[in-house]
Amino acid sequence: MRQLGRLGLAAAACLLGANVALADTTVKWLYIEENPAQVKIWEEVARAYESSHPGVKIAMQFLENEAYKAKLPTILQSKDRPNIIYSWAGGVLKAQIDAGVLEDITDQVKGYSDSLAPAALAAFTDNGRVYGLPAALSQVGFLCNKELMAKANVDPAGIKSWDDLLSAVKMLKAAGVTPIVVGGADKWPLHFYWTHLAVRIGGKAAFDAALRGEDGGFAGETFQKSGELFKQLVDLQPFQNGFLGFKNPQAVGYFGDGKAAMTLAISIVYHLQRALAADKVGLSEDKICWFDFPSVAGGKGAPTDTLGGITGWLITKGSPKESVDFLKYFISKDVQARLAAGNFLIPVVKGADVGLNNSFMKLIAANLAKSNYHQNFYDQSLGPSVGRVVNDVSAEIAGGSMSPQDAASAIEAARKQGN
Amino acid sequence: MGVAETSLSSHAVRGPSWDGRFTVLILFLPPALLLFTLFVVLPIGEAAWYSAFNWNGFGRPTNWIGFDNYRFVLQTRAFWLALRNNGLIIAVSLAIQLPLALTLALMLAERFRGAVALRMLFFMPYILAEIATGLIFSFVYDGDYGLVASIWRAFGAEPPHLLASTSTSMLAVLIVIVWKYFGFHMMLFIAALQSLDKSLVEAARIDGATRSQTLRHVVIPLLYPTIRLSVFFAIIGSLQLFDLVMPLTRGGPADSSNTMVSFLYNNGISRMRVGYGSAIGVILFVICVTFAFTYKRWFMRNE
Amino acid sequence: MSSANTARTPFEPAMLFKAVFLAAIAILVLVPLLATVLGGFKSLGELRVNPFGLPRHWEWQNYADILFSGRYWQLLRNSLIISTLTVTMTLIVAAMAAFTFAHVKFFGSSMLLSYLTLGLLFPAATAVLPLFIKVRDLGLLDTYFGVALPQVAFSLAMSVLLLRRFFKDLPYELLEAALVDGCSYIKFFRYVTLPLSRPILATVGTITFVNSWNAYLLPLVMLNTDALYPWPLGIMVYQGEYSSEWHLILAFITLTILPTIILFLLAQKHIVAGLTAGAVKG
Repeated sequence: MRQLGRLGLAAAACLLGANVALADTTVKWLYIEENPAQVKIWEEVARAYESSHPGVKIAMQFLENEAYKAKLPTILQSKDRPNIIYSWAGGVLKAQIDAGVLEDITDQVKGYSDSLAPAALAAFTDNGRVYGLPAALSQVGFLCNKELMAKANVDPAGIKSWDDLLSAVKMLKAAGVTPIVVGGADKWPLHFYWTHLAVRIGGKAAFDAALRGEDGGFAGETFQKSGELFKQLVDLQPFQNGFLGFKNPQAVGYFGDGKAAMTLAISIVYHLQRALAADKVGLSEDKICWFDFPSVAGGKGAPTDTLGGITGWLITKGSPKESVDFLKYFISKDVQARLAAGNFLIPVVKGADVGLNNSFMKLIAANLAKSNYHQNFYDQSLGPSVGRVVNDVSAEIAGGSMSPQDAASAIEAARKQGN
Repeated sequence: MGVAETSLSSHAVRGPSWDGRFTVLILFLPPALLLFTLFVVLPIGEAAWYSAFNWNGFGRPTNWIGFDNYRFVLQTRAFWLALRNNGLIIAVSLAIQLPLALTLALMLAERFRGAVALRMLFFMPYILAEIATGLIFSFVYDGDYGLVASIWRAFGAEPPHLLASTSTSMLAVLIVIVWKYFGFHMMLFIAALQSLDKSLVEAARIDGATRSQTLRHVVIPLLYPTIRLSVFFAIIGSLQLFDLVMPLTRGGPADSSNTMVSFLYNNGISRMRVGYGSAIGVILFVICVTFAFTYKRWFMRNE
Repeated sequence: MSSANTARTPFEPAMLFKAVFLAAIAILVLVPLLATVLGGFKSLGELRVNPFGLPRHWEWQNYADILFSGRYWQLLRNSLIISTLTVTMTLIVAAMAAFTFAHVKFFGSSMLLSYLTLGLLFPAATAVLPLFIKVRDLGLLDTYFGVALPQVAFSLAMSVLLLRRFFKDLPYELLEAALVDGCSYIKFFRYVTLPLSRPILATVGTITFVNSWNAYLLPLVMLNTDALYPWPLGIMVYQGEYSSEWHLILAFITLTILPTIILFLLAQKHIVAGLTAGAVKG
């Protein structure tokens, strides 16, 4: 009799356990994407995954770019942290790996990872272990407004050297056009100028040497020269009024509203400016032009060198295995081809670039493919602390409150202090 | 604290209810002491401890660097800017806000139609959250859509971006501070004025003093305790300013409008440099406590 | 001071100056607030050309969208929960401690009181980093208590001082008589002290509530899931999302400060007395 009772209890326990196992797993997905059109596609992908995988819910949470960077360290320490987070790889990723807050997913992506472009996957691998997956590539360069450039008789294709750029700025100013719009309040849009100059002046060799502390580290000649050339541009007052108060979304909207001739931005802005313009239409394809960052006379960098991002998603420690599963689903040939077709990104999955149907996107993809040295954004590749110093000093040079020499020394000092 | 206490304490109950007192003691006191020690006192001690490490918050601190964090802080230009800004806030609070509050209090302490309504109106900014005030004024100051921009355009000029310029960002912040807090100090003064002994004022009048003489030699001296209190609050409040700065400028551009606390947040928490941030916290603590003790000793001797 | 009593000619220049001055300050206070409220009723384009005046076309949609989204109510609910927790705990803990300090003479009581007073001297911000680490280690990160408990701790100093002063001011004979009748301290606390202390409890409760309702730094550091955000955090996230769409942001701001303003209008005397009494007595 007692045996039966115990059996009954055991059966009940099994049933309960089974019920618990059938309960929903939630995968928390934290993103910073501001383009609602792209977010819409992501949501559709999430819903599609949910319907084909009953018992799994994908919960999406948005945080604005700068707020995300500021809060991420505290978010990662919470036991309720999101499972999938956005990443620009680089030193920040390394710091996160060292801190042990990420999940090692090498085994879970075996086989799958072969479908990804090797350089992209390498950005998310450390010591042979994979911690996340790349999702997009991008390049930093000059987007321009054809009409405004024509108004000042400036030919974008003719801007090949730094001096060409400076003359273009002067001509635009003379024609009463705001030459460049930049989101100075967020600081990182300004650091593009400084770092791209460094890429042109010293190339890969200089960056690697600086990381090792050779040649004076980041206080060395290459980086001082970057600051000086950047200052040359700043002294021409090329930016829009109040640029230090413009957050990046505002600046992108400004460009989309057709109020400035050029902006040095990530290639995704091509599409993003449409969503952020005041009329939600922005500049149409035939009104936008692009030119690569100009070269510097006597610079050791190759003209094919690119500055840009390899961005993707990381899995945080302790996340349910459904997170990795969903991520693989999200970064798959079909979804990537779909997003590429929408001109939202340059895909990383091999073969997905057939989706690119736009000449601009194809141009960027080709640039990236040609490049032997793709420098990740300094403020991410140098790690959380040093990276932010690069942003700070770029903003200070732009604001006229710091000399190029001091800027370079400050970065070197931060590098020595370590993260 | 006061004179009344001694006579009361002389009545302290002794004798048979000692047990009752003991129960109260061990039941009623510990929760407060525990919470206070755990969340207020210990963290300050820990701040001093963490400030000696180079630590990013994960795991346990292991990288001992002694006083280096303090050296780094003192070498950072942004720190001195933040300190200067806090000084500016204090200066403006004392030189502009308090006199304004006092003037308004003198005007509104009397009973005339609408006085109470005006008092409430002026007090209203104080009850708004700092964060909301900061956002409202980031709209007011916006170079494109803001009220300031609108006024400028009405005069045909290109509106300035006050919050985007290193030279005007702090000025903009200071104006918001005065807007927000003058009402509080005004109410303090009104409360004090209303509890003044009117006979002293009458006596002065009978002796032939003019209004301004009465003001200067009778009323204001009687208000000294409240003025001292007001100054005390203004200064302590100024040292803590954070919520107001974040929506307006986030401390920028180029750290020109950082306060000590926003500097701590931007460098300690955002970048998870726990040691560095703790050092800033300790410095701020020392400043606050030094000020409080010095002030109490010198100015509030009867407290 | 007593100018209202004496007869004066109608147009005193001093009176005129006073009126103008008061009007000017009133305008400076009202304009930003009114512009915020009205701005929510305008479209973005109209906001740019007509920021001061009444909307030409009343866009009810902006406000409606926010009111009908779950987000707004979730923010208010979170704020209410955190603030209520903070106030309840503060009142209970502080009242108990204040009672002990007021009536129980024991060795070290003045030392402990000075110890508590230390809390008045420095802001929570100075220790926010270690506080974060501690809350994290206690497993309270991303919980209401993770915000409420530190808030209680920091408001203890002011609350205990205020309550103790009030308790001491109560007629001592009451306590004496009660003790003689064999009533225990605890019973006295519950049935006599607390009921008589309604005014001061309301004052302390109000101060604590307003401070907690408006708090930004502590929740910012302790909370990371937006489902738990109180309204100050929520409003910043909203602003980050809609950066240049001022008409939406202004509508949101108006709706989030509305509870405070309504509360203020209803309980004016109380709030003012509370906030200034806290200052004067402290």
